[in-house]
Amino acid sequence: MQIFLDRLSSGLTAGSIYVLIALALVVVFRCSGTINFAQGEFALFTCFVAWWLSTKGWPLALALIASMAVGFVMGMVAERALIRPVRRRSEVATLIVGLGLFTGLNGADGWIWGPADKTFPELLPHSPNDYISIAGSRLHYDSIGIFVGMLLVVLLLTLLFNRTPFGLQMRAVATNAESAALSGVKVGRVLSVSWGISAAIGSFAGVLLVPVLPPNQLDLSSFFSILIFASAAALFGGLDSVKGAVVGGLGLGVVESMLNGYGTFLGGSLQLTLALFIIVVVLVFKPTGVFGARRIERV
Amino acid sequence: MSAPSTSQSSSTRAEAAPLLELDGVFAGYGSTTVLRDINLRVQAGEAVVVLGANGAGKTTLMRTISGLIPHTGRIRVDGNQVSRVRPDAMLRLGIGLVPQGRGTLTGMSVRDNLRVGAVSRRGARAIGTDIDRWCEVFRPLGQRLNQVAGTLSGGEQQMLAVARAMMARPRLLLCDEVSLGLAPLIVQGLFEVLGQLNSDQGTALLLVEQNAELALQVAARVYLLEVGSVAASGPAAEFQHNDAIRRAYLGY
Repeated sequence: MQIFLDRLSSGLTAGSIYVLIALALVVVFRCSGTINFAQGEFALFTCFVAWWLSTKGWPLALALIASMAVGFVMGMVAERALIRPVRRRSEVATLIVGLGLFTGLNGADGWIWGPADKTFPELLPHSPNDYISIAGSRLHYDSIGIFVGMLLVVLLLTLLFNRTPFGLQMRAVATNAESAALSGVKVGRVLSVSWGISAAIGSFAGVLLVPVLPPNQLDLSSFFSILIFASAAALFGGLDSVKGAVVGGLGLGVVESMLNGYGTFLGGSLQLTLALFIIVVVLVFKPTGVFGARRIERV
Repeated sequence: MSAPSTSQSSSTRAEAAPLLELDGVFAGYGSTTVLRDINLRVQAGEAVVVLGANGAGKTTLMRTISGLIPHTGRIRVDGNQVSRVRPDAMLRLGIGLVPQGRGTLTGMSVRDNLRVGAVSRRGARAIGTDIDRWCEVFRPLGQRLNQVAGTLSGGEQQMLAVARAMMARPRLLLCDEVSLGLAPLIVQGLFEVLGQLNSDQGTALLLVEQNAELALQVAARVYLLEVGSVAASGPAAEFQHNDAIRRAYLGY
Protein backbone atom coordinates (compact mmCIF):
# COMPACT_ATOMS: atom_id res chain seq x y z
CA MET A 1 0.00 0.00 0.00
CA GLN A 2 2.77 2.35 0.91
CA ILE A 3 4.57 1.72 -2.34
CA PHE A 4 1.36 2.28 -4.23
CA LEU A 5 0.78 5.65 -2.59
CA ASP A 6 4.41 6.62 -3.10
CA ARG A 7 4.14 5.74 -6.77
CA LEU A 8 0.82 7.53 -7.05
CA SER A 9 2.06 10.75 -5.51
CA SER A 10 5.23 10.66 -7.55
CA GLY A 11 3.16 10.04 -10.67
CA LEU A 12 0.78 12.87 -9.93
CA THR A 13 3.69 15.23 -9.34
CA ALA A 14 5.42 14.38 -12.59
CA GLY A 15 2.00 14.32 -14.22
CA SER A 16 1.30 17.86 -13.01
CA ILE A 17 4.34 19.10 -14.89
CA TYR A 18 3.22 17.26 -18.01
CA VAL A 19 -0.22 18.82 -17.59
CA LEU A 20 1.26 22.31 -17.41
CA ILE A 21 3.38 21.92 -20.53
CA ALA A 22 0.49 20.19 -22.28
CA LEU A 23 -1.76 23.13 -21.35
CA ALA A 24 0.76 25.50 -22.86
CA LEU A 25 0.63 23.45 -26.07
CA VAL A 26 -3.17 23.40 -25.99
CA VAL A 27 -3.46 27.18 -25.62
CA VAL A 28 -1.35 27.71 -28.73
CA PHE A 29 -3.01 24.95 -30.70
CA ARG A 30 -6.54 26.13 -29.97
CA CYS A 31 -5.82 29.59 -31.30
CA SER A 32 -3.15 29.12 -33.92
CA GLY A 33 -3.76 25.57 -35.01
CA THR A 34 -0.05 24.76 -34.73
CA ILE A 35 2.08 22.89 -32.26
CA ASN A 36 4.81 24.99 -30.74
CA PHE A 37 7.80 22.64 -30.74
CA ALA A 38 9.85 25.25 -28.96
CA GLN A 39 7.56 25.17 -25.93
CA GLY A 40 10.06 23.38 -23.72
CA GLU A 41 12.84 25.69 -24.77
CA PHE A 42 10.83 28.79 -23.88
CA ALA A 43 10.44 27.25 -20.45
CA LEU A 44 14.11 26.39 -20.25
CA PHE A 45 15.23 29.86 -21.26
CA THR A 46 13.05 31.50 -18.65
CA CYS A 47 14.33 29.00 -16.08
CA PHE A 48 17.83 30.23 -16.78
CA VAL A 49 16.57 33.78 -16.31
CA ALA A 50 15.04 32.80 -12.98
CA TRP A 51 18.25 31.06 -11.93
CA TRP A 52 20.31 34.08 -12.92
CA LEU A 53 18.05 36.40 -10.95
CA SER A 54 18.32 34.14 -7.93
CA THR A 55 22.11 34.36 -8.08
CA LYS A 56 21.67 38.13 -7.93
CA GLY A 57 19.91 37.73 -4.63
CA TRP A 58 16.27 37.78 -5.77
CA PRO A 59 13.92 35.56 -3.76
CA LEU A 60 12.85 32.71 -5.99
CA ALA A 61 9.16 33.58 -5.82
CA LEU A 62 9.92 37.00 -7.30
CA ALA A 63 12.23 35.45 -9.84
CA LEU A 64 9.39 33.13 -10.82
CA ILE A 65 7.08 36.05 -11.52
CA ALA A 66 9.81 37.85 -13.44
CA SER A 67 10.57 34.79 -15.54
CA MET A 68 6.87 34.32 -16.31
CA ALA A 69 6.75 37.93 -17.47
CA VAL A 70 9.82 37.35 -19.64
CA GLY A 71 8.20 34.21 -21.02
CA PHE A 72 5.03 36.12 -21.81
CA VAL A 73 6.89 38.75 -23.77
CA MET A 74 9.00 36.13 -25.56
CA GLY A 75 5.86 34.29 -26.60
CA MET A 76 4.19 37.43 -27.91
CA VAL A 77 7.27 38.51 -29.84
CA ALA A 78 7.77 35.04 -31.30
CA GLU A 79 4.23 34.96 -32.60
CA ARG A 80 4.33 38.45 -34.03
CA ALA A 81 7.79 38.37 -35.56
CA LEU A 82 8.43 34.76 -36.45
CA ILE A 83 5.24 32.80 -36.72
CA ARG A 84 2.74 35.22 -38.21
CA PRO A 85 4.71 36.12 -41.33
CA VAL A 86 5.22 32.46 -42.05
CA ARG A 87 1.81 31.08 -41.23
CA ARG A 88 0.27 32.32 -44.42
CA ARG A 89 2.69 30.28 -46.48
CA SER A 90 2.13 26.81 -45.11
CA GLU A 91 1.56 24.72 -42.03
CA VAL A 92 4.89 22.98 -42.40
CA ALA A 93 6.70 26.29 -42.44
CA THR A 94 5.38 27.18 -39.00
CA LEU A 95 6.47 23.82 -37.61
CA ILE A 96 9.93 24.38 -38.99
CA VAL A 97 10.10 27.83 -37.45
CA GLY A 98 9.16 26.14 -34.18
CA LEU A 99 12.02 23.69 -34.58
CA GLY A 100 14.32 26.57 -35.42
CA LEU A 101 13.28 28.37 -32.26
CA PHE A 102 13.91 25.16 -30.37
CA THR A 103 17.47 24.88 -31.60
CA GLY A 104 18.16 28.58 -31.43
CA LEU A 105 16.96 29.02 -27.87
CA ASN A 106 18.81 25.99 -26.65
CA GLY A 107 21.98 27.31 -28.22
CA ALA A 108 21.34 30.76 -26.80
CA ASP A 109 21.01 29.30 -23.31
CA GLY A 110 24.39 27.64 -23.63
CA TRP A 111 25.97 30.73 -25.10
CA ILE A 112 24.64 33.21 -22.56
CA TRP A 113 24.94 31.14 -19.44
CA GLY A 114 27.50 28.52 -20.27
CA PRO A 115 27.08 24.76 -20.52
CA ALA A 116 27.95 23.89 -16.91
CA ASP A 117 25.13 22.51 -14.78
CA LYS A 118 23.60 25.05 -12.46
CA THR A 119 22.27 24.49 -9.02
CA PHE A 120 18.76 25.76 -8.64
CA PRO A 121 17.49 27.19 -5.37
CA GLU A 122 14.38 25.77 -3.75
CA LEU A 123 10.98 27.28 -4.22
CA LEU A 124 9.17 24.84 -1.99
CA PRO A 125 10.47 23.09 1.15
CA HIS A 126 12.50 20.25 -0.16
CA SER A 127 14.35 18.54 2.63
CA PRO A 128 13.59 14.86 3.35
CA ASN A 129 11.75 15.87 6.51
CA ASP A 130 9.18 18.09 4.84
CA TYR A 131 6.27 15.75 4.38
CA ILE A 132 2.94 14.66 5.74
CA SER A 133 2.32 11.02 6.33
CA ILE A 134 -0.62 9.19 4.78
CA ALA A 135 -1.04 5.50 5.41
CA GLY A 136 2.64 5.12 5.97
CA SER A 137 3.74 6.85 2.79
CA ARG A 138 5.36 10.25 2.67
CA LEU A 139 3.64 13.05 0.83
CA HIS A 140 6.27 15.73 0.38
CA TYR A 141 5.37 19.40 0.55
CA ASP A 142 6.97 20.14 -2.77
CA SER A 143 4.88 17.48 -4.48
CA ILE A 144 1.74 18.94 -2.99
CA GLY A 145 2.93 22.37 -4.06
CA ILE A 146 3.39 21.31 -7.66
CA PHE A 147 0.01 19.60 -7.77
CA VAL A 148 -1.70 22.64 -6.27
CA GLY A 149 0.16 24.91 -8.67
CA MET A 150 -1.12 22.86 -11.57
CA LEU A 151 -4.70 23.00 -10.28
CA LEU A 152 -4.38 26.75 -9.92
CA VAL A 153 -3.30 27.15 -13.54
CA VAL A 154 -6.10 24.88 -14.74
CA LEU A 155 -8.62 26.90 -12.75
CA LEU A 156 -7.30 30.24 -13.99
CA LEU A 157 -7.21 29.07 -17.60
CA THR A 158 -10.74 27.72 -17.43
CA LEU A 159 -11.93 31.01 -15.94
CA LEU A 160 -10.07 32.93 -18.62
CA PHE A 161 -11.57 30.95 -21.48
CA ASN A 162 -15.12 30.81 -20.23
CA ARG A 163 -15.74 33.87 -18.13
CA THR A 164 -13.72 36.72 -19.56
CA PRO A 165 -14.38 38.82 -22.67
CA PHE A 166 -10.86 38.11 -23.88
CA GLY A 167 -11.44 34.39 -23.41
CA LEU A 168 -14.54 34.75 -25.59
CA GLN A 169 -12.38 36.28 -28.30
CA MET A 170 -9.79 33.50 -27.93
CA ARG A 171 -12.49 30.87 -28.36
CA ALA A 172 -13.88 32.71 -31.37
CA VAL A 173 -10.48 32.87 -33.04
CA ALA A 174 -9.90 29.21 -32.24
CA THR A 175 -13.22 28.26 -33.85
CA ASN A 176 -13.23 30.42 -36.97
CA ALA A 177 -10.69 33.20 -37.26
CA GLU A 178 -12.34 34.78 -40.31
CA SER A 179 -15.74 35.06 -38.64
CA ALA A 180 -14.08 36.44 -35.56
CA ALA A 181 -12.34 39.11 -37.63
CA LEU A 182 -15.63 39.98 -39.34
CA SER A 183 -17.14 40.54 -35.92
CA GLY A 184 -14.37 42.95 -35.04
CA VAL A 185 -11.96 40.73 -33.12
CA LYS A 186 -8.35 41.80 -33.52
CA VAL A 187 -7.13 38.35 -34.41
CA GLY A 188 -3.44 39.21 -34.46
CA ARG A 189 -3.53 40.56 -30.95
CA VAL A 190 -5.43 37.53 -29.67
CA LEU A 191 -2.85 35.22 -31.21
CA SER A 192 0.11 37.12 -29.77
CA VAL A 193 -1.37 37.13 -26.29
CA SER A 194 -2.19 33.42 -26.56
CA TRP A 195 1.41 32.64 -27.33
CA GLY A 196 2.43 34.87 -24.45
CA ILE A 197 0.12 33.04 -22.04
CA SER A 198 1.37 29.73 -23.31
CA ALA A 199 5.01 30.69 -22.74
CA ALA A 200 4.21 32.06 -19.27
CA ILE A 201 2.59 28.74 -18.31
CA GLY A 202 5.68 26.96 -19.55
CA SER A 203 7.86 29.23 -17.40
CA PHE A 204 5.75 28.47 -14.37
CA ALA A 205 6.10 24.77 -15.02
CA GLY A 206 9.81 25.05 -15.51
CA VAL A 207 10.57 26.88 -12.32
CA LEU A 208 8.35 24.50 -10.35
CA LEU A 209 10.02 21.51 -11.89
CA VAL A 210 13.73 22.09 -11.74
CA PRO A 211 14.19 21.90 -7.96
CA VAL A 212 12.38 18.57 -8.02
CA LEU A 213 14.31 17.01 -10.89
CA PRO A 214 17.11 14.88 -9.58
CA PRO A 215 19.76 16.03 -9.40
CA ASN A 216 18.82 19.56 -8.41
CA GLN A 217 20.48 20.91 -11.49
CA LEU A 218 19.53 22.90 -14.51
CA ASP A 219 21.07 21.81 -17.74
CA LEU A 220 20.44 22.14 -21.42
CA SER A 221 18.60 18.88 -21.87
CA SER A 222 16.31 19.23 -18.86
CA PHE A 223 13.22 19.90 -20.86
CA PHE A 224 13.59 17.73 -23.86
CA SER A 225 12.05 14.55 -22.52
CA ILE A 226 9.41 16.55 -20.66
CA LEU A 227 8.32 18.06 -23.94
CA ILE A 228 7.99 14.62 -25.50
CA PHE A 229 5.84 13.38 -22.64
CA ALA A 230 3.78 16.54 -22.54
CA SER A 231 3.19 16.46 -26.30
CA ALA A 232 2.10 12.86 -26.03
CA ALA A 233 -0.22 13.74 -23.17
CA ALA A 234 -1.69 16.65 -25.09
CA LEU A 235 -2.22 14.55 -28.22
CA PHE A 236 -3.81 11.83 -26.14
CA GLY A 237 -6.20 14.24 -24.49
CA GLY A 238 -7.01 16.13 -27.65
CA LEU A 239 -4.89 19.10 -28.66
CA ASP A 240 -7.67 21.58 -28.18
CA SER A 241 -8.97 20.38 -24.84
CA VAL A 242 -7.97 21.65 -21.39
CA LYS A 243 -9.69 18.70 -19.75
CA GLY A 244 -7.83 16.38 -22.10
CA ALA A 245 -4.48 17.90 -21.16
CA VAL A 246 -5.22 17.36 -17.48
CA VAL A 247 -6.35 13.76 -17.92
CA GLY A 248 -3.59 12.97 -20.39
CA GLY A 249 -0.83 14.56 -18.34
CA LEU A 250 -1.82 13.08 -15.01
CA GLY A 251 -2.60 9.73 -16.56
CA LEU A 252 0.74 9.57 -18.29
CA GLY A 253 2.57 10.58 -15.12
CA VAL A 254 0.82 7.95 -13.07
CA VAL A 255 1.26 5.19 -15.65
CA GLU A 256 4.94 6.00 -15.98
CA SER A 257 5.35 6.00 -12.24
CA MET A 258 3.50 2.73 -11.76
CA LEU A 259 5.59 1.09 -14.43
CA ASN A 260 8.65 2.45 -12.64
CA GLY A 261 7.55 0.88 -9.42
CA TYR A 262 5.89 -2.34 -10.44
CA GLY A 263 7.20 -3.01 -13.89
CA THR A 264 10.87 -3.23 -13.11
CA PHE A 265 11.05 -6.36 -15.16
CA LEU A 266 10.62 -4.17 -18.18
CA GLY A 267 13.92 -2.45 -17.66
CA GLY A 268 14.65 1.25 -17.60
CA SER A 269 13.80 2.87 -20.90
CA LEU A 270 11.05 0.49 -21.89
CA GLN A 271 8.62 2.25 -19.57
CA LEU A 272 8.71 5.33 -21.74
CA THR A 273 8.16 3.15 -24.76
CA LEU A 274 5.22 1.39 -23.21
CA ALA A 275 3.59 4.64 -22.16
CA LEU A 276 3.98 6.08 -25.62
CA PHE A 277 2.74 2.82 -27.14
CA ILE A 278 -0.49 3.15 -25.18
CA ILE A 279 -0.90 6.63 -26.58
CA VAL A 280 -0.36 5.51 -30.15
CA VAL A 281 -3.01 2.85 -29.71
CA VAL A 282 -5.51 5.43 -28.45
CA LEU A 283 -4.74 7.77 -31.32
CA VAL A 284 -5.25 5.03 -33.88
CA PHE A 285 -8.80 4.54 -32.69
CA LYS A 286 -9.58 8.16 -31.88
CA PRO A 287 -7.30 10.51 -33.78
CA THR A 288 -8.68 13.63 -32.20
CA GLY A 289 -7.68 12.42 -28.77
CA VAL A 290 -9.96 11.24 -26.00
CA PHE A 291 -11.54 14.65 -25.33
CA GLY A 292 -10.65 16.50 -28.49
CA ALA A 293 -13.36 18.13 -30.56
CA ARG A 294 -11.73 19.51 -33.62
CA ARG A 295 -10.93 17.27 -36.51
CA ILE A 296 -7.19 17.35 -36.91
CA GLU A 297 -6.47 17.25 -40.59
CA ARG A 298 -2.82 18.02 -40.86
CA VAL A 299 -0.11 17.84 -38.27
CA MET B 1 -23.30 86.93 -51.04
CA SER B 2 -20.60 84.47 -51.99
CA ALA B 3 -20.09 83.07 -48.51
CA PRO B 4 -23.57 81.53 -48.12
CA SER B 5 -23.37 79.88 -51.51
CA THR B 6 -20.00 78.25 -50.71
CA SER B 7 -21.36 76.86 -47.48
CA GLN B 8 -24.43 75.71 -49.32
CA SER B 9 -22.45 73.86 -51.96
CA SER B 10 -20.14 72.30 -49.38
CA SER B 11 -23.09 71.08 -47.35
CA THR B 12 -24.58 69.61 -50.51
CA ARG B 13 -21.32 67.89 -51.16
CA ALA B 14 -21.26 66.54 -47.61
CA GLU B 15 -24.84 65.29 -47.94
CA ALA B 16 -23.98 63.54 -51.14
CA ALA B 17 -20.99 61.59 -49.80
CA PRO B 18 -22.12 57.99 -49.97
CA LEU B 19 -21.79 55.69 -46.99
CA LEU B 20 -19.86 53.30 -49.17
CA GLU B 21 -18.28 53.94 -52.53
CA LEU B 22 -16.19 51.73 -54.78
CA ASP B 23 -14.23 53.59 -57.42
CA GLY B 24 -12.35 51.67 -60.07
CA VAL B 25 -11.91 48.60 -57.93
CA PHE B 26 -10.15 45.52 -59.24
CA ALA B 27 -9.90 42.38 -57.14
CA GLY B 28 -9.23 38.70 -57.49
CA TYR B 29 -7.42 35.64 -56.27
CA GLY B 30 -3.75 35.32 -56.99
CA SER B 31 -3.23 35.91 -60.68
CA THR B 32 -6.92 35.70 -61.54
CA THR B 33 -8.75 39.01 -61.71
CA VAL B 34 -12.40 38.50 -60.89
CA LEU B 35 -13.69 42.06 -60.44
CA ARG B 36 -12.90 44.63 -63.08
CA ASP B 37 -13.35 48.35 -62.68
CA ILE B 38 -16.22 48.23 -60.22
CA ASN B 39 -17.99 51.54 -59.59
CA LEU B 40 -20.68 51.25 -57.01
CA ARG B 41 -22.19 53.29 -54.22
CA VAL B 42 -24.57 52.91 -51.33
CA GLN B 43 -26.08 55.93 -49.59
CA ALA B 44 -26.87 55.95 -45.90
CA GLY B 45 -30.15 54.20 -45.27
CA GLU B 46 -30.39 52.83 -48.80
CA ALA B 47 -31.15 49.25 -49.81
CA VAL B 48 -29.19 48.12 -52.83
CA VAL B 49 -29.06 44.70 -54.40
CA VAL B 50 -26.36 43.21 -56.62
CA LEU B 51 -27.71 40.57 -58.97
CA GLY B 52 -25.81 38.24 -61.20
CA ALA B 53 -25.30 34.69 -62.28
CA ASN B 54 -22.98 32.20 -60.64
CA GLY B 55 -19.38 33.15 -61.08
CA ALA B 56 -20.18 36.78 -61.79
CA GLY B 57 -18.10 37.83 -58.81
CA LYS B 58 -20.80 38.67 -56.27
CA THR B 59 -19.13 36.94 -53.33
CA THR B 60 -15.75 38.32 -54.38
CA LEU B 61 -17.31 41.78 -54.24
CA MET B 62 -18.58 41.25 -50.69
CA ARG B 63 -15.28 39.85 -49.51
CA THR B 64 -13.36 42.69 -51.10
CA ILE B 65 -15.48 45.32 -49.37
CA SER B 66 -14.96 43.53 -46.05
CA GLY B 67 -11.23 43.42 -46.53
CA LEU B 68 -10.87 39.66 -46.82
CA ILE B 69 -9.46 40.00 -50.33
CA PRO B 70 -6.91 42.62 -51.43
CA HIS B 71 -7.91 45.06 -54.13
CA THR B 72 -6.64 47.93 -56.23
CA GLY B 73 -8.70 51.03 -56.67
CA ARG B 74 -10.43 53.15 -54.09
CA ILE B 75 -12.90 52.17 -51.42
CA ARG B 76 -14.41 55.14 -49.61
CA VAL B 77 -16.54 55.29 -46.51
CA ASP B 78 -18.37 58.59 -45.88
CA GLY B 79 -16.27 60.11 -48.62
CA ASN B 80 -12.95 59.23 -46.99
CA GLN B 81 -10.72 56.69 -48.63
CA VAL B 82 -9.98 53.71 -46.46
CA SER B 83 -6.25 53.03 -46.53
CA ARG B 84 -6.17 49.56 -45.01
CA VAL B 85 -9.36 47.70 -45.72
CA ARG B 86 -9.56 44.93 -43.12
CA PRO B 87 -12.56 43.17 -41.57
CA ASP B 88 -12.28 44.62 -38.08
CA ALA B 89 -11.46 48.07 -39.45
CA MET B 90 -14.47 48.07 -41.77
CA LEU B 91 -16.65 46.96 -38.91
CA ARG B 92 -15.51 49.88 -36.82
CA LEU B 93 -16.44 52.12 -39.74
CA GLY B 94 -19.93 50.66 -39.52
CA ILE B 95 -19.91 48.05 -42.26
CA GLY B 96 -20.74 44.47 -41.31
CA LEU B 97 -20.84 41.32 -43.40
CA VAL B 98 -23.13 38.31 -43.25
CA PRO B 99 -20.80 35.96 -45.11
CA GLN B 100 -21.75 33.28 -47.55
CA GLY B 101 -21.89 29.98 -45.73
CA ARG B 102 -22.92 31.89 -42.60
CA GLY B 103 -19.58 31.68 -40.79
CA THR B 104 -21.19 30.25 -37.69
CA LEU B 105 -18.87 29.75 -34.72
CA THR B 106 -19.88 26.15 -34.62
CA GLY B 107 -18.36 24.96 -31.36
CA MET B 108 -19.77 27.84 -29.34
CA SER B 109 -23.26 28.41 -27.98
CA VAL B 110 -25.81 30.62 -29.72
CA ARG B 111 -25.47 33.17 -26.95
CA ASP B 112 -21.69 33.20 -27.29
CA ASN B 113 -22.03 33.67 -31.04
CA LEU B 114 -24.13 36.77 -30.42
CA ARG B 115 -21.71 38.02 -27.78
CA VAL B 116 -18.84 37.68 -30.23
CA GLY B 117 -20.84 39.81 -32.65
CA ALA B 118 -20.73 42.59 -30.08
CA VAL B 119 -16.98 42.55 -29.28
CA SER B 120 -16.50 45.92 -30.88
CA ARG B 121 -19.01 47.48 -28.49
CA ARG B 122 -18.96 48.54 -24.86
CA GLY B 123 -21.83 48.39 -22.42
CA ALA B 124 -22.89 44.99 -21.15
CA ARG B 125 -26.48 46.05 -20.54
CA ALA B 126 -27.08 47.39 -24.02
CA ILE B 127 -25.53 44.24 -25.45
CA GLY B 128 -27.81 42.11 -23.31
CA THR B 129 -30.83 44.07 -24.49
CA ASP B 130 -29.80 43.54 -28.08
CA ILE B 131 -29.45 39.80 -27.53
CA ASP B 132 -32.98 39.72 -26.11
CA ARG B 133 -34.26 41.74 -29.03
CA TRP B 134 -32.75 39.44 -31.64
CA CYS B 135 -34.16 36.44 -29.82
CA GLU B 136 -37.58 38.00 -30.18
CA VAL B 137 -37.10 38.76 -33.86
CA PHE B 138 -35.79 35.27 -34.50
CA ARG B 139 -37.76 32.97 -32.22
CA PRO B 140 -35.67 29.81 -32.78
CA LEU B 141 -32.56 31.61 -31.54
CA GLY B 142 -34.29 32.55 -28.31
CA GLN B 143 -35.28 28.94 -27.77
CA ARG B 144 -31.78 27.69 -28.33
CA LEU B 145 -29.61 30.28 -26.62
CA ASN B 146 -27.50 27.71 -24.79
CA GLN B 147 -27.36 25.21 -27.60
CA VAL B 148 -24.17 24.62 -29.56
CA ALA B 149 -24.51 26.67 -32.72
CA GLY B 150 -23.24 23.91 -34.98
CA THR B 151 -26.33 21.84 -34.22
CA LEU B 152 -28.74 24.45 -35.55
CA SER B 153 -30.48 23.96 -38.87
CA GLY B 154 -29.41 25.88 -41.97
CA GLY B 155 -32.17 28.42 -41.62
CA GLU B 156 -31.47 28.94 -37.94
CA GLN B 157 -27.77 29.40 -38.61
CA GLN B 158 -28.64 32.00 -41.23
CA MET B 159 -30.76 33.86 -38.69
CA LEU B 160 -27.86 33.62 -36.27
CA ALA B 161 -25.47 34.99 -38.87
CA VAL B 162 -27.70 38.01 -39.49
CA ALA B 163 -28.21 38.58 -35.77
CA ARG B 164 -24.49 38.22 -35.09
CA ALA B 165 -23.64 40.82 -37.71
CA MET B 166 -26.34 43.15 -36.42
CA MET B 167 -25.06 42.86 -32.84
CA ALA B 168 -22.29 45.23 -33.90
CA ARG B 169 -24.99 47.78 -34.87
CA PRO B 170 -23.56 48.43 -38.32
CA ARG B 171 -24.79 51.29 -40.49
CA LEU B 172 -24.49 49.14 -43.58
CA LEU B 173 -25.15 45.41 -43.67
CA LEU B 174 -23.59 43.39 -46.46
CA CYS B 175 -25.52 40.17 -47.10
CA ASP B 176 -23.97 37.48 -49.25
CA GLU B 177 -26.66 35.17 -50.61
CA VAL B 178 -28.65 34.75 -47.43
CA SER B 179 -31.26 32.77 -49.32
CA LEU B 180 -28.85 30.05 -50.41
CA GLY B 181 -30.07 26.58 -49.61
CA LEU B 182 -33.01 27.66 -47.50
CA ALA B 183 -36.70 26.82 -47.69
CA PRO B 184 -38.84 29.53 -49.35
CA LEU B 185 -40.82 30.25 -46.21
CA ILE B 186 -37.68 30.88 -44.20
CA VAL B 187 -36.22 33.06 -46.93
CA GLN B 188 -39.40 35.11 -46.97
CA GLY B 189 -39.19 35.63 -43.23
CA LEU B 190 -35.56 36.64 -43.49
CA PHE B 191 -36.23 39.22 -46.17
CA GLU B 192 -39.08 40.63 -44.12
CA VAL B 193 -36.65 41.16 -41.26
CA LEU B 194 -34.09 42.73 -43.58
CA GLY B 195 -36.73 44.98 -45.06
CA GLN B 196 -37.76 46.13 -41.61
CA LEU B 197 -34.16 46.77 -40.66
CA ASN B 198 -33.94 49.08 -43.60
CA SER B 199 -37.27 50.86 -43.34
CA ASP B 200 -37.66 51.10 -39.55
CA GLN B 201 -34.09 51.31 -38.36
CA GLY B 202 -32.43 52.96 -41.32
CA THR B 203 -29.75 50.32 -41.68
CA ALA B 204 -28.39 50.46 -45.20
CA LEU B 205 -28.33 47.15 -47.05
CA LEU B 206 -26.14 45.82 -49.80
CA LEU B 207 -27.54 42.46 -50.76
CA VAL B 208 -26.03 39.97 -53.09
CA GLU B 209 -28.63 37.56 -54.35
CA GLN B 210 -29.50 35.04 -56.96
CA ASN B 211 -33.12 35.13 -55.81
CA ALA B 212 -33.93 38.28 -57.73
CA GLU B 213 -37.67 38.41 -57.09
CA LEU B 214 -37.53 38.70 -53.30
CA ALA B 215 -34.50 40.93 -53.34
CA LEU B 216 -36.16 43.43 -55.68
CA GLN B 217 -39.00 43.83 -53.20
CA VAL B 218 -36.58 45.06 -50.58
CA ALA B 219 -34.13 47.04 -52.66
CA ALA B 220 -34.39 50.55 -54.04
CA ARG B 221 -31.55 50.22 -56.54
CA VAL B 222 -30.02 47.40 -58.51
CA TYR B 223 -26.57 46.68 -59.87
CA LEU B 224 -26.18 43.88 -62.34
CA LEU B 225 -22.87 42.08 -62.22
CA GLU B 226 -21.72 40.18 -65.26
CA VAL B 227 -18.33 38.47 -65.47
CA GLY B 228 -16.84 40.79 -62.90
CA SER B 229 -18.13 44.12 -64.19
CA VAL B 230 -21.21 46.21 -63.61
CA ALA B 231 -23.31 45.61 -66.70
CA ALA B 232 -26.31 47.69 -65.71
CA SER B 233 -27.65 49.68 -62.82
CA GLY B 234 -30.74 51.63 -61.95
CA PRO B 235 -33.81 51.88 -59.75
CA ALA B 236 -35.36 48.58 -58.76
CA ALA B 237 -38.69 49.55 -60.29
CA GLU B 238 -37.05 49.83 -63.70
CA PHE B 239 -35.79 46.29 -63.42
CA GLN B 240 -39.00 44.91 -62.12
CA HIS B 241 -41.26 46.47 -64.74
CA ASN B 242 -39.07 46.30 -67.78
CA ASP B 243 -39.95 42.94 -69.33
CA ALA B 244 -36.96 42.78 -71.60
CA ILE B 245 -34.43 43.40 -68.83
CA ARG B 246 -36.22 41.01 -66.55
CA ARG B 247 -36.22 38.19 -69.03
CA ALA B 248 -32.71 38.78 -70.24
CA TYR B 249 -31.01 39.27 -66.91
CA LEU B 250 -33.27 37.99 -64.19
CA GLY B 251 -34.67 34.95 -65.85
CA TYR B 252 -38.35 35.42 -65.14
